[in-house]
Amino acid sequence: MSRKYTAVLLSAALALSAAFAASGCGRGSEGTGAAARTSAQAAEQRARSGEVVVAMDPNSEPAAGFDPAYGWGAGEHVHEPLIQSTLTVTNPDLTIGYDLATDYSVSEDGLTWTVTIRDDVSFTDGEPLTAEDVAFTYNTVKASSSVSDFTMLDYAEAADDRTVVFHMNRPFSIWPYTMAVTGIVPEHAYDSATYGASPIGSGRYILKQWDRGQQVILEANPDYYGGEPLMKKVTILFMEEDAAFLAAQAGQVDLAYTSATYSDQQIEGYSLASYATVDNRGFNLPAVPEQTDAQGRTVGNDLTADVRVRRAINMGIDRQEMIDHVLNGYGSPAYSVCDQMPWYSEASEVEHDPEGAAALLDEAGWKTGDDGVREKDGVKAELNLLYSAGDSVRQALAADFADQLGDLGISCTLEGMGWDTAYDRALSDPLIWGWGAHTPMELYNIYHTAAGSDWALYSPYASDAVDRYMDQALAQNDLETSYQLWRQAQWDGTEGVTWEGDIPWVWLVNIDHLYWVRDGLQVAEQKIHPHGHGWSVVNNVDQWTWKG
Amino acid sequence: MNEEWNIGTREAEPGNRRWRMGIFLVCAGLVLLAVMVSGILLDGAAAETDFSRKNLAPVTGHLFGTDWMGRDMLARTLAGLSLSIRIGILTAAVSAAVALVLGTVSAVGGRKADAVISWCIDLVMGIPHILLVMLISLTFGKGVAGVTAGVALSHWASLARVIRGEILQLRQAPYILTAQKLGVSRMRIAARHMFPHVFPQFLTGLILLFPHAILHESGVTFLGFGLAPEQPAIGVILSESMQYLTTGKWWLALFPGLSLVLVVVLFAMAGERVRKLTDPASFHE
Repeated sequence: MSRKYTAVLLSAALALSAAFAASGCGRGSEGTGAAARTSAQAAEQRARSGEVVVAMDPNSEPAAGFDPAYGWGAGEHVHEPLIQSTLTVTNPDLTIGYDLATDYSVSEDGLTWTVTIRDDVSFTDGEPLTAEDVAFTYNTVKASSSVSDFTMLDYAEAADDRTVVFHMNRPFSIWPYTMAVTGIVPEHAYDSATYGASPIGSGRYILKQWDRGQQVILEANPDYYGGEPLMKKVTILFMEEDAAFLAAQAGQVDLAYTSATYSDQQIEGYSLASYATVDNRGFNLPAVPEQTDAQGRTVGNDLTADVRVRRAINMGIDRQEMIDHVLNGYGSPAYSVCDQMPWYSEASEVEHDPEGAAALLDEAGWKTGDDGVREKDGVKAELNLLYSAGDSVRQALAADFADQLGDLGISCTLEGMGWDTAYDRALSDPLIWGWGAHTPMELYNIYHTAAGSDWALYSPYASDAVDRYMDQALAQNDLETSYQLWRQAQWDGTEGVTWEGDIPWVWLVNIDHLYWVRDGLQVAEQKIHPHGHGWSVVNNVDQWTWKG
Repeated sequence: MNEEWNIGTREAEPGNRRWRMGIFLVCAGLVLLAVMVSGILLDGAAAETDFSRKNLAPVTGHLFGTDWMGRDMLARTLAGLSLSIRIGILTAAVSAAVALVLGTVSAVGGRKADAVISWCIDLVMGIPHILLVMLISLTFGKGVAGVTAGVALSHWASLARVIRGEILQLRQAPYILTAQKLGVSRMRIAARHMFPHVFPQFLTGLILLFPHAILHESGVTFLGFGLAPEQPAIGVILSESMQYLTTGKWWLALFPGLSLVLVVVLFAMAGERVRKLTDPASFHE
């Protein structure tokens, strides 16, 4: 019997020690005063020699290493590859600028892209970077890539040392955005088995050291062809959110990612920096009635199949309240998947109008019942909202969304689940998603009818007009015109996916990315961050400085 | 004088002690029942979010404080414990049924039946408990169904082993052998002569399953293989609270953790007392 008591006592001890650890953490920073002083000296040392230590989410560590063919830079969370150069870059306003490229042009039919590159660029092993390397990179990436979509590319070839030609399978007007995240690897030194761990590039930084699961150390490339990196050494530590907070409290890092959970805390010697993002959260609203598809999955939702219900939901949500409640004010209202991007249509913006929403629901036949829940033909207005288990922000957003829909007369239940089941379940129930990328392709992925299917990939919805605009946008050979067509795909005055249109997704908030920044560290101006609270912040680490 | 005094206390004690134990059992039972019922009644309140009162330290009105979505931690804790106790009851019922059936088979059946049963017991006991619970829970798709199945289907082995051991011993007991020689049927021997003998062990084992079941339920949920995060469960509460410990929100872990320990201790103490009350060896202590 004593074994059982041991177990009980153990768990008691656990609960108690956990609580003491919690209540004691305020005193912890004083108790480790000596350690804090040493880390302050270390920080001063770093400031003098132009070094910085950054704490990043462990999920940001590239599993396959720093190989563009396996998702480094591209993939779900786009950012600049730092170690490698890219042909183009995205400017602060998300238009296209040049890195390696000096010029590019596209043929009338959109099937041939010709890019000329600089002739003064060498890899860090001393070999010059030529068009051969560029062609090799793209052909390799296309052949091996698992995370990035390169199906639009047929093949790349080098016309001469400085000119590379891309032959496309289909027109793809936003190719410059793909070029902006594809790092160029050296043909002579590329081995897919080892490159990820020991990359050679021509970018601003050289990978000095990588301790898997712990840290990455980058050192400035002394032969970099662009402006000399001001920050000479960048150390990235991978730590969980609470560890990052404690590391900042102990003065061990200069910049640490954090979230709204910690935003009411104070750390001496640090300030909280908040950067605007297009890292949005929103629910898909299945736009067809419930049915079973060929694979036996349940698709569609009888309540959200009515466009008036979807419009009412979009209109009836108080986004600012959600930001104040869940994000402690650190966020901005989201009206589309691409807020503030060059291809964003301002027609997406919707006023919070609960009366209008109620009127729409009444018009759709959903009358308020005795218990405050709307009914139509004896059926209650009910939604089962899904979220990915383990993400407390999404859970809280879903809970607030449910509360607000409850006020509109739609009764909601919440269900947390893993991503293994979430994709299939989202075909019939609204799921809270996170998107936001520096490419209009995301509009296509979300709203365009998927190949071989009647509907879009993630949530059942189809519109000929929307499809047509996006197909046209991709077929353009001028970015400016394509932006216009992307905007028209969202709303052309009569049709689209905005609040006046089909609204198959309701967008809620853009989550600001929060960081603890040591006083004196001057973080260069940030582009609007995309989805993924990771490498984006160090996109321009070469321009960061220490003051004083 | 001294000896008389001692004898006096010895005589007075049994009644007192049995009485005290009885009182304790009734009280423990009532407390647990109250937790279970209030948890069921509070199920709706436990899930209710109100962002205007989030992250409150314990105050009147919210004795256990509130969490980051403004849910009342007292309601969540009670609902979670209630769920744990209900899962415990189901586990106890399933384990009791399985142990009873297997015990009967090994009493009535022959050597071969017994070999099969002990093989089954070894099989289940050979796999680490928490791993088995996780595996079964995953197979049943996690959630309430998964955890209940996982905990219920993995705890019968220890009880069944105790019962089987007792019966093995009993089969050689003179009064059983005599009954056999007198031609009493095997079923009748099992029901009339064996079951009453093993009942105390059976009952004690049953009650002592509860703390095990509850800890395993919260354990597997804590590790993320059990109940979904929106369900009020102690495991969910404790794993969530880990995120907020660094910001000093101690009430999120302390009260639910202590409550869990309290319930488990109550069950364990009740089990001990039931054993003492029913075991013939300590019956007259």
